[in-house]
Amino acid sequence: MQTGYIIIEHPADLGIEASGESLVDAFIQAAHGLISIIVDPATIDSISSEHIHIVADDKEQLLVKWLSEILYLYDGRKFLSKEFRISLLNETELKAVASGEFISESKHKMRMDVKAVTYHQLVVEENMNGGKVRVFLDI
Amino acid sequence: MFKKLDEYRYLIPKSYKQGMLIEGLVYANDKMIKHIEKDQTKEQVANVATLPGFVGRSLAMPDAHQGYGFCIGGVAAADINDGVVSAGGVGFDINCGVRLLATKFELSDVKPKLEQLLDRLFRDIPCGTGKKGLLNVSKLELDDVLRDGAEWAVKNSFGNDRDLAHIEEYGKIPNADPILVSTRAKERGHHQLGTLGSGNHFLEIQVVSEIFDHEVAQNFGLAKDQIVVLIHSGSRGLGHQVCTDYLDIMQSGMRKYGISVVDRQLACVPIQSKEGQDYLKAMAASANFAFANRQMITHWTREAFRQILGSGEMNIVYDVCHNIAKCEDHEVNGKKKKVLVHRKGATRAFPKNHASLPEELRSYGQPVLIPGSMGTCSYVLVGTDLAMKETFGSSCHGAGRSKSRTQAKKETSVEELFREMKSKDIIVRGETKSGLTEEKPDAYKDVSEVVDVVHGAGIASKVAKLLPLAVMKG
Repeated sequence: MQTGYIIIEHPADLGIEASGESLVDAFIQAAHGLISIIVDPATIDSISSEHIHIVADDKEQLLVKWLSEILYLYDGRKFLSKEFRISLLNETELKAVASGEFISESKHKMRMDVKAVTYHQLVVEENMNGGKVRVFLDI
Repeated sequence: MFKKLDEYRYLIPKSYKQGMLIEGLVYANDKMIKHIEKDQTKEQVANVATLPGFVGRSLAMPDAHQGYGFCIGGVAAADINDGVVSAGGVGFDINCGVRLLATKFELSDVKPKLEQLLDRLFRDIPCGTGKKGLLNVSKLELDDVLRDGAEWAVKNSFGNDRDLAHIEEYGKIPNADPILVSTRAKERGHHQLGTLGSGNHFLEIQVVSEIFDHEVAQNFGLAKDQIVVLIHSGSRGLGHQVCTDYLDIMQSGMRKYGISVVDRQLACVPIQSKEGQDYLKAMAASANFAFANRQMITHWTREAFRQILGSGEMNIVYDVCHNIAKCEDHEVNGKKKKVLVHRKGATRAFPKNHASLPEELRSYGQPVLIPGSMGTCSYVLVGTDLAMKETFGSSCHGAGRSKSRTQAKKETSVEELFREMKSKDIIVRGETKSGLTEEKPDAYKDVSEVVDVVHGAGIASKVAKLLPLAVMKG
């Protein structure tokens, strides 16, 4: 499966469809998609890193919590993520490191606020061809 | 298929979908119902009707469109003892709402200094992505904001006592508990008090262009040619995080209480459970944050008018919540019941003589504020007795989106949008180009048509029409 993400439409909001050679890749691509909605990623440098550890009931909840974590890093901690490394992803747990830098109004080209990550028409799939996820965001 | 009951009512019978415990009802006209049928609105109204303990009907207002879990424009009520509360039924932007301010100025007073006034408002009220508020509240003080809402702002000289009487719940939902708001939510909201936000949030300087009901308009303090200010904002990152946190808690709670839902975004728990009560107390705290937020914006609006026009005197006509769950008394199937009314993109519309209204509004009813899209008109309506009988005292909340953000951006450049606004004699300030084009007027339904349905159906009654002069968007 091709590695990457596309932004998809919703009557009032936006969604992300992401895929990769594995579910790990698809999760990482979804995170890139989320960041690209909030800010121009080209304006972020990887200067420091944040550790992420998530426990959930299933993979769907894991995806929502993974992206909610990246959103919280931005809106709560003012940390913009640029690169992601996932070291563990199973049915109920995810461990990762997000690297990036703290917001600078003069440096970063902000695009749009994202309110939250939803469970609406959520897709998390993994098969022989790779991984695919779809998630909608409240804007 | 919908069953058309009359000119404005379309029924979704229980037989439409397996598991529906109550009927669905959509308020629309023939044209609008065709539009509503194009997206998932009908399915979402039907899905809400499957939730345990919901009573009456699952409703959608004429501005309805597809949302998450509940449709936007959705109203539904759960029995307080047997029903469930759904965080998704309130939405992420808890107490996103609108507030209308009536100034002492007329069009001719303001027109020559309009650009200057808008520039000052744009300078003094932070808006747009990632913007911090001007006020730095300590973490301890943030708890006071969450507990006391607009009352906290008034105590700190950001308004007066009269303001509080003209805010839904008097600007403070009781039982708010700051302890139940996560540290993360507080981190997200901490710097955002007094900020407008982005997306569809706005501040508009408008003029009263038409009065439909002179007696009620006079009671609301509105007259033709008067300058008014309409503010649309919510609980910012704090409310978004509270909803995110409790959606997560409710996912696990559903297993604990043996509840299954057709859409995970409808995750819910019994109202009387610990999780349900905790959510309602955290939701109340978030709603209070939003009331305080709009109070701060009001203060800076008054300051801007004072500095540019010499007087910042303006009264709050009213302030209404769009996204909220409220414990209210309603008549269901002829019996009085305490219910939890979920309003997701809908406005409370209480009639005259309702005990929740302040003395000065009790003879006329609650002002219902309906903002249009950028560049189009807005309306002031008043609540009716019929709304109490049919819609748990609720009405629509705006024009309702009809085009996606991507489509809106593709269709119009920011230059075209500015030309269109200029041709209508409207000035605009926006933080980003894309933020403006996504909110272009025809990305929304015709607000006049929406209001005509509400008025025609009798669930709110037209009082005044407002035209925009100057728009500030995040």
